[in-house]
Amino acid sequence: MTAKNLHIKIDEMKTNSGLIKNLELSIGKVVNENYNEPMGPTPMPSVTTLRDWDLTLLNKYKPFYMPDCDLCCLCTFGKCDLTAGKRGACGLDIAAQSSRIVALACSIGAACHSAHSRHLVHHLIEKYGRRYPLDVGGLNIKVEAPITRLVTGIKPETLGDLDDVLAYVEEQITQILAAAHTGQEANALDFESKAFHVGMCDHIGMEVGDIAQISVFNYPKADPEAPLVKLGIGSVDRTKPVIMCIGHNVVPSVGIIDYAKEQKVDESLEIVGLCCTAHDMTRYYTRGRIVGPISWELRFIRAGLADVVVLDEQCIRTDVADEAAKVNAPVIAASEKNCVGFKNRTNDPTDAIVDDLVSGKVLGVLILDPDKVGEVAVRVAMKVAPMRKRKNVLPTVEEVIAAAKTCTQCKQCQRNCPQDYAVPAALKDAAAGDLSKLTDLYEYCIGCGRCEQACPQKIVIHSLIVKAGEKAMYCEDNLCRSGRGAVSDVEIRSVGGPIVLGEIPGIVALVGCSNYPKGGKDVYDIAREFASRRYIVALSGCSAMAAGSYRNSEGKTIYEEFPGGFEAGGVLNVGSCVANSHIAGAAIKVANIFAKRNLRGNYEEIADYIHNRLGAVGLAWGAYSQKAAAIGAGFWRLGVPVIVGPHGSKYRRMLLGRKDVPENWNVIDARTGETVNVGPSPEHLFNVAETKEECIVQIAKLVIRPNDTWKGRAGKLSHYIDLHKRYMGVMPDDIHLYIRTPADIPITMKDEIQKILEEHNWKETTIPDPTLLPRMVRKMKE
Amino acid sequence: MSMFKDIPVEVGVIFEGERIRRNDMQVELGGPKVDQKFEIAKVKPMDQIEDGKVVIVGPDLKDLKEGGEYPLGILIEAAGAQLDPGLEGVIERRLHGYLNYIEGFMHLNQRYDIQIRLGKKSFQKGLNTFEIIGKVLYRLFKNELPIIEKLQITFITDISKIGSLYTDALASYEARDAKARGLKDNEVPEFYGCVLCQSFAPSHVCVITPQRYSNCGAISWHDGKASASIDPKGPIFAIPRGDVINEEKGEFSGVNEAAKKRSMGEVTKVWLYTAFDHPHTSCGCFEAVTFYIPEVDGFGIVHRTFKGVTVNGLPFSTLADSTAGGRQIDGFHGMSLEYMRSSKFFAADGGWNRVVWVPKEVKEKVKDFIPKDIIGKIATEDDAKGIDDLKTFLKEKNHPIVAKWTTEEAPATEAETEATPVMTASTLPISAGGFKIILTDAKIYASKVVIKKDESKTEKR
Repeated sequence: MTAKNLHIKIDEMKTNSGLIKNLELSIGKVVNENYNEPMGPTPMPSVTTLRDWDLTLLNKYKPFYMPDCDLCCLCTFGKCDLTAGKRGACGLDIAAQSSRIVALACSIGAACHSAHSRHLVHHLIEKYGRRYPLDVGGLNIKVEAPITRLVTGIKPETLGDLDDVLAYVEEQITQILAAAHTGQEANALDFESKAFHVGMCDHIGMEVGDIAQISVFNYPKADPEAPLVKLGIGSVDRTKPVIMCIGHNVVPSVGIIDYAKEQKVDESLEIVGLCCTAHDMTRYYTRGRIVGPISWELRFIRAGLADVVVLDEQCIRTDVADEAAKVNAPVIAASEKNCVGFKNRTNDPTDAIVDDLVSGKVLGVLILDPDKVGEVAVRVAMKVAPMRKRKNVLPTVEEVIAAAKTCTQCKQCQRNCPQDYAVPAALKDAAAGDLSKLTDLYEYCIGCGRCEQACPQKIVIHSLIVKAGEKAMYCEDNLCRSGRGAVSDVEIRSVGGPIVLGEIPGIVALVGCSNYPKGGKDVYDIAREFASRRYIVALSGCSAMAAGSYRNSEGKTIYEEFPGGFEAGGVLNVGSCVANSHIAGAAIKVANIFAKRNLRGNYEEIADYIHNRLGAVGLAWGAYSQKAAAIGAGFWRLGVPVIVGPHGSKYRRMLLGRKDVPENWNVIDARTGETVNVGPSPEHLFNVAETKEECIVQIAKLVIRPNDTWKGRAGKLSHYIDLHKRYMGVMPDDIHLYIRTPADIPITMKDEIQKILEEHNWKETTIPDPTLLPRMVRKMKE
Repeated sequence: MSMFKDIPVEVGVIFEGERIRRNDMQVELGGPKVDQKFEIAKVKPMDQIEDGKVVIVGPDLKDLKEGGEYPLGILIEAAGAQLDPGLEGVIERRLHGYLNYIEGFMHLNQRYDIQIRLGKKSFQKGLNTFEIIGKVLYRLFKNELPIIEKLQITFITDISKIGSLYTDALASYEARDAKARGLKDNEVPEFYGCVLCQSFAPSHVCVITPQRYSNCGAISWHDGKASASIDPKGPIFAIPRGDVINEEKGEFSGVNEAAKKRSMGEVTKVWLYTAFDHPHTSCGCFEAVTFYIPEVDGFGIVHRTFKGVTVNGLPFSTLADSTAGGRQIDGFHGMSLEYMRSSKFFAADGGWNRVVWVPKEVKEKVKDFIPKDIIGKIATEDDAKGIDDLKTFLKEKNHPIVAKWTTEEAPATEAETEATPVMTASTLPISAGGFKIILTDAKIYASKVVIKKDESKTEKR
């Protein structure tokens, strides 16, 4: 617990030894210190404190630039052409410009999570007081905020303590943003380091937000058996008024749920969420429904399902108000960050606001008081629903065919489709009365609506797709495990043995958004592939929804088929975007739990530990946002590899290892101080997978670490080789780089691999106690 | 695949987690509906078995009716110059892994409790005879355990023959268990060390003796012996016991040397039979923690899955944190559940007579190994929630520890906690009334800082 601004004044004090007159003592802060872990070397690191560590990683995994845009138009000297080695008016080249955009994107992402957390913390402190205790997992969690402890050296115990943590994050984001101004940072690698820095801060921002909301709203607390909640459009009872909440900040949704419960109308209403608000809403209220990821916004509104639309913040289509107006659904904007041009009615009488929305006098309002949002939304929904009669703008089948007939096959829709779907072919068939191809598109479509914008004939292509997929849409009735929050210390202890003994080959985290190249099924398939192989599969955000949207041959969703614990074959949904912090947190806790490494202000040592020992990989298959970039950057700095789907190439550069350069793979053996070549483990820090198959093989390879026991390595290689053969059709060409001793060879593949080793003139090496930090070398104590 | 290219289905670690549902199964062998089923390994003299021979006694897989359940016995007979009957259990337990490597072949449980399912798909692919299963087992055993020089495998499904073999098998398990538990630390020339955990806890070394399982509960002395003989340079290695330095505490010169070498000198002395002074180190994945309770001078034990707080008010996670990371912490000990079944279980500290509190789940698991006269005197979470309850309970039951309480109350010596500085500064100037006092490197200590709520500024709640 901390206290701020103490002031002591002594006018006169006589003692035997002397006299004090007019003594004033001002103390900025008194810390009631019951955090007895010694402070490490880097509490609250500044922009450059961890730069050496960043450069260590960036030299091992050099940025490979693939500019998505080779112009710069940030200042009025521009636009500057940066192609073919040219520099801009400010002197920047394309490498630095690309890294600069990465740093900017990560700053936006970090600002988003941190501002979200700031709002939550402010709001909760105002409502529940600074001294409200934090509790993320009761007795099963000793380290409540691993990232915060690691980076800032603060052990937060109350809501008020989170204030100081956020103040640090906010300063760092400002510093990084400043570095992106024209004529500041000149070097590409330094921009990369800055992206890492702000990514690390992003993880703190996320952690603060999630531990605050878990504590106050009493979400599931590190619970492997968190309840299963309904997921999908078909799970929504369309006979009841529907309030649809979109975004990421649960506070207005809580206002709605509380009011509805108070008025005892919650059973006669459907309160549904899209995107991460849906996760957090159902962590609070299991009767809530998760409609789906961001890409479900247009289809849900156009199908007329929402009677009231409530917007909080982040990843909300900015044309929602226009779309809602077409179906006579009033809109309530509830966040300062997204006012939608509506009049601020926060201080107006509730009755007046309700009347204006019900009568259609105004299309939407801005209300910044979540309790008032709750009352207005519920009352308006009850009144508007019978009047709207589910008004929708979906065409009839005849209208679909008629519209398709106006298509000139100019193919602008396909050219503008981020996934290059064959929309013209689907329209051609539709014109002839066959909607099957349009129906197929429903499954894959990410609902961006760019096809419609591009169509010179003004065909409402997305609506055509939704109509064709209507039947499938109303069958979307699945289950998602409510976000469980953190991984408990006890769960981590329990997997230590199985990981060391090779029974758990690795940890895969499927996170992030829904810009999928071919629908969400890929996420389900990948999650199921690895869960079946007894990897630990962690999920969050839109990926957690995609994974829950399909069923196995027995009709079970992935959350019913596999246990929800951090265990072999466990499939755990940690929760919303901000809950991603628990995945990084679990990695950090491993170092504390097994090796008793101090966390407090000890970033570099812990990142080195994680990078060299923990077989974890992140996958953001449909990453689209700046937040996803920031989350990724936080993992990069911890040395955890991240894979992105094909669209991830637009993040402008990869961090690729070079397996053809042996000296890049030297580590120090902390036991002897000797250099040991450990091969490309892990091979990359950030790379793109073009296909699901490639991605699966990459994951299996990227969980390999220098410290693997031979049992662990043999298990990992078994899966890598099997998956490579299964999906690529051949034996991988780099197996010899991963065998250190004969015991590493999977026993069922001995003959085959021994032959390969002979061909490559393989030599046995040792399994080191690996580190990249010379100071970690231990001296034999006498 | 070359190793199994003549096998009609795939063989690999990746099939380990495969489940075969009832609807997809060709036949079930063993399982809850069958009384007589077993798998057993026997070490035989070299001349009594034929290397590579697979014997099928009774109907083969293809002769069994689809969807039915049948008795099955699997007999693995091995011979080798370095093999001894102590390794039978190690060989036998490999069966579970190996059989599960076969695509469409699911193996559950062990010994007299096995349940095996063959999937229809694999059957249709040609996995229709025990001959193939035998071939796979033969190759895997010979590959992984080169100390097996000869191996013969028998499958028994004949109802008329399985009965007597089943009875023999039961007797063998019992004899083996009795022998394993009867084996004493002072009867063997070497112990085994395990540093597998060093991949995560770099200074931890497990010492595995006949009377002390690894902390994780996964490796016995026999397992250690098998691993060390297969790969002497590997992470599980022999520790020559050396001289007995202190028989009571369990100090051996060989153990001290190995611990020192493998922990880089962090640990120089290990006492195997006590939780005090130089206890065995604790890694991170131990199954349970023993913790000293000074107020009653006894041990509490808590296992990993215990929910709630122990009798001293702390949960497992906190107690585990007090001892983990390859450290020796006086009065704390991370250990396996199996160690509680050992007669050397904290023998130097009084063994079970020193234990005052265990969760009832643990008590139930090891009840056969707790001396009869003490079992009712050890409290569980139902008997004592706090130290006062515990004292009352122990007195009521007349736990032997009570006799050691010299005066009326237990020797509670609360450790002085080291004061933490509330203020430290390299240079701290204070200016007051024309004076400037400079405190250099000042640390102001307070044993307690009380921050009271200012009621006049109560925050809105």
